[in-house]
Amino acid sequence: MDVIEHPPIFHLPGIPDHVTYTWLVMIVLGALALAASRNMALVPRGVQNLMEVVLEQILGLIDDVMGPEGRRYLPLIATLGLFILVGNLMSVVPGFATPTANLNTTAACALIVFLTYHWIGIRKQGALTYLKHFMGPVPLPLKPLMFVIEIISHLARPLSLSLRLFGNMTGGHILLAIIFFLMGLQGLIGWALSGSGAGAVIGGLGGLIMVAFTVGFLYPLKLLVALLQAFIFIMLTMLYISGAIEEAEHGHEAQHH
Amino acid sequence: MRRTLMLTVLATLGAPVLAHAADAATSGGWVGPFAVIAAGLGMALAAGLCGLGQGRAVASAVDAMARQPGAAARIQTAMIIGLALIESLAIYVLVVAMILLFVQPIK
Repeated sequence: MDVIEHPPIFHLPGIPDHVTYTWLVMIVLGALALAASRNMALVPRGVQNLMEVVLEQILGLIDDVMGPEGRRYLPLIATLGLFILVGNLMSVVPGFATPTANLNTTAACALIVFLTYHWIGIRKQGALTYLKHFMGPVPLPLKPLMFVIEIISHLARPLSLSLRLFGNMTGGHILLAIIFFLMGLQGLIGWALSGSGAGAVIGGLGGLIMVAFTVGFLYPLKLLVALLQAFIFIMLTMLYISGAIEEAEHGHEAQHH
Repeated sequence: MRRTLMLTVLATLGAPVLAHAADAATSGGWVGPFAVIAAGLGMALAAGLCGLGQGRAVASAVDAMARQPGAAARIQTAMIIGLALIESLAIYVLVVAMILLFVQPIK
């Protein structure tokens, strides 16, 4: 990795890169929020308009998935969604490190979700009812087994939530790094500059194909993955929260890991 | 067919080992080349099987959407969640492969 990877352009000494770029995400989001709310108008324009569209999308999603009770959790869900989205989009800016391509960032987000939905469930239903909720709608002899399985599946949730985001962002990152390595001075461009005629033709053609592949396919793919992973993260967060607040009598039809 | 496959697998497994045998004594362990093979084979298996699973899921979802275009939005949401859950299994293998390749816990 160190051979083929260029360090990001801003590097604060002594501070890991993902922390630096998490601060950048915070600055971007804070500036957007300030710009959107400084001169609020009844007929929104500019940044206010943009942020209202984004928030309305998230609100529509919450209404679809969680029903009328869900709007209370908008701050948590929208904050996570915007943070992860802007963090993911840093992966398509050349020379930036991606905060969400580091397991520490994603594990922090996933742990927040894990602790929050259990806390919401306990506060909503009481600790005993919430624990009973784990045993599921099965006959009495099967309940202890169900309890253990449910505990394991709940513990697997933050693991899969964090690893999914981390793996997707890091996978795209490695793919791009390898493509750039193949294009670089030791690869096609080096071949094109090597001086021989055949090298110039093959290296130039191959380089053009690689550039077209990167710009036409890889970058759109990375944009899509960035949007999709942020969407999936908040979608699963909503499902977990609505699973925790639903009444125990309903059973849990919506089982998700 | 099967014999060819087995020979290919054996050759794939054997070649780096034979190539490595010469300098294994000097440069340390045997785990390194096998870790690279395991990462590659594991990722290939995971990607292929994950593609099969996702293909089945998308096929059913498109089928359902064609039958009931009115419910397309809800089916699509459910499909995307399902795809994410299937894909996370392949992502686990990717993480394990990256650990094998870059962290190298066992030398």
